Amino acid sequence: MISIVKRVLLTFLLLLLSSLAVFAAIRLSGGDVTAARLPASATAQDRAAFREQIGLNKPILTQYVDYLGKVVKGDLGNSLTNNAKISTLAVDKIKNSLILGGAAIVLVFGIGIPLGMLAAFRRNSWLDTSISSASVAGMAIPNFWLALLVVWLFSSTLGWFPSAGQGGIKYLVLPSIVLAAEGIALTVRMTRSAMLENLGQDFVRTLRASGLSESRIYFKHVLRNSLLPIISLAGLRVGQIVGYALVVETIFGWPGVGQILVNGVLRRDYPIVQFFSLLLVVVVTLGNLAASVGYTLANPRLRK
Amino acid sequence: MTTHDTPLLEIDDLSVGLRAGNIAYDIVRNVNLTVNRNEIVAVVGESGCGKSLTALSILQLHSSPPLFITSGSIMYGGVDLTKLSKSEMRNIRGAEIAMIFQDPMSALDPMFTVGTLLTTAVRSHQSVGKDVAEKVALEALADAGIEDPKRRFSEYPFQLSGGVSQRVMIALALVNNPKLIIADEPTTALDVTVQAQILDRLKELKKDRGMSIMLITHNLGVVASVADRMAVMYTGEVVEKGAVSDVFERPQHPYTNGLLGAVPRLGSAAADLTPIAGRVPQPDELPTGCSFAERCSRVMETCRATRPELTVRGLAEVRCFNPVG
Repeated sequence: MISIVKRVLLTFLLLLLSSLAVFAAIRLSGGDVTAARLPASATAQDRAAFREQIGLNKPILTQYVDYLGKVVKGDLGNSLTNNAKISTLAVDKIKNSLILGGAAIVLVFGIGIPLGMLAAFRRNSWLDTSISSASVAGMAIPNFWLALLVVWLFSSTLGWFPSAGQGGIKYLVLPSIVLAAEGIALTVRMTRSAMLENLGQDFVRTLRASGLSESRIYFKHVLRNSLLPIISLAGLRVGQIVGYALVVETIFGWPGVGQILVNGVLRRDYPIVQFFSLLLVVVVTLGNLAASVGYTLANPRLRK
Repeated sequence: MTTHDTPLLEIDDLSVGLRAGNIAYDIVRNVNLTVNRNEIVAVVGESGCGKSLTALSILQLHSSPPLFITSGSIMYGGVDLTKLSKSEMRNIRGAEIAMIFQDPMSALDPMFTVGTLLTTAVRSHQSVGKDVAEKVALEALADAGIEDPKRRFSEYPFQLSGGVSQRVMIALALVNNPKLIIADEPTTALDVTVQAQILDRLKELKKDRGMSIMLITHNLGVVASVADRMAVMYTGEVVEKGAVSDVFERPQHPYTNGLLGAVPRLGSAAADLTPIAGRVPQPDELPTGCSFAERCSRVMETCRATRPELTVRGLAEVRCFNPVG
C-alpha cells in the first residue's frame, strides 16, 4: 500500500519535472514562434504584438506558473498555428496513435513470444539460426531505414500496401510492422534465452519424471516461468514504441500524437509541444506501471 | 506382467557414456543391479561415482546428448526400458517407476501450487476428472506424511520448508501408485531430524504398500538404517553388492572396507578414522586394470593389468582379485 502511494507521488513529481523540462527546452531552442501563425509579410511590430499576446514577454518562470495554473483548471491552451483547442485536437490524435501503438504492441508480443519459443524448441537447428539472425537484424536496422525499405518493396514495387495515410487495416500494416520491428526482435531473443534457461532447471526434470508430455512441460510450465522476465521488461517495450512513433508516424503520414508533436516542434508551436510531450511521459509511466502490476500478478512469490 | 520370482527391475551390463565430438568415455561402466519386489536397495558411493547417472538413465532422464546409454539393458516388467520410444517411456515415468530428487526446493515448479502440480501429474496418467484428481492428490499428500494436506494443496513451493517440500516430492511420486520409487539423495539437503522422518516414511511405504525403493545415497548411516541390500559404486562400477548386514559386517572390497573405516562410531576417538589414501581417478583417465589399484593397500600385479569382474564370493558379490577377509 505504502509502495503504491509512493509510486503515485513519484509519478506526479516526474510529470511536474518533465513539464518544466519541456517548457524550458522548447523556449530555449530558438526559432521564431511567430512564423507559424503570421504571414511572411508581417512587420516586426506585428510579430512583437503576437509575442506579447501569448505572454512571451514575461519572465519564463512566470510563464510556467501561468501555464500550470491553466492546466490545473483543465485549459490545455490552443495551437499557435491555427488556434484550434488542444483538448479537441487531442482526441483524434490520441485515438489514431492508440490504434497504431496498440497494433505494434500486439505484434511485439504476438509474434515475438511464439518465434522465441520456436527458436528455443528447435535450438541449434536451421530454424533457430534463421530466427536468431533475423532478430539480430531487427535490432540492428534503424527503423527509419526499415520504413524506406518496406515502402520501396511492398508499396512502390509490389503495390500491396499504401505507403502513407490512414484508412482501413491495409494502411496499418506497414507502419505497425516498422514500429514493432525492434521490439519483436528483442522479445524473440529474450523469450528464447528465458525458455532455454528454464528448460535446464531442476523442476523440468521432475515434471519429466512424473510422465508429463514434452508439449505440456514446454507450453504450460516452461513458458509460464519464462513470461516473468518478458512481462517485467514490457514497460521498456512500451517506451520504445512511444519514442519510435515520432519517426514512424511522420514517415507514414499517420495523423497521430507523434506526427503532431514533430510538426509542433518544427513550428515552435509551444502549447502543442508542451501538451503532447507530457502525454508521452504519461503513457510511458503508465506502461511501466502496468508492467510492474502485471509482474506482481504473474509471480506467486509477490502475489501471496 | 512377470511372475513373482523375477526381479522387479534388472539392470544388466549398463554403461552410460559421454559422446561429444572426439570425446568418448563411459561414466557408468557395466553396472549390474537388481531390485526385487518389496525391498529397498541402496546404491552408495562418493560424488561422481555414477550412482545418480545410473538412476537417471533408468527413466532416460540423463541429458542426451551428450550422454548416451552405450551398452546393456534395463529390464522392467519384461521390457527393456532402453529400447522404448519417447511416448512408451512417458507411460512408465511416474506410473510404473517414479523418482524423488535431491533438492526439493528447486525440483518443484515455482509458478504453480502444490495442488496443480499433483493433479497435473495424476491427469497425465489417469483419465479422471478434476475432483477425482484432487482427491487422489490429497490422499498422496497424507500418505507422504503431510499433516494438513488441504492447506498445502493451495500453497506454492516457495511457501514450504525443505522437509515439507520433500514430502510433496514424495506425494508427487506416489500419486500414480508406482511399483518402484527411485530416490536420488532424498535427504541430503535436509537437516538430521527431518532426514530421519523422511527415511521412516520411505520404510513405511515399503511395508504398507509393498513398494520397492532404489535409494541413491553417499551416506552409509542412511544405508544401514533403511536398506535391505546395497551396492557400492566406485568410478562408475559396482565394486561390491550384497545384503546390507553382510556387507557391513564383512566388507570384502578394499574400497568398501576403507569406506566403513572412515565412518565415525560412538565411543571411538576421531584418530581411529582411517581415510582412504590418494584420489579418485577421472572417468577419462581410468587405468586398464582395477580402477582402485592406485589407492589400494592390497594391490597385486594382476590388479594393474586386468580389470576384475564382479564375482560371487561368500554371501556377496565383489569386483576384486584380492578381497579382504
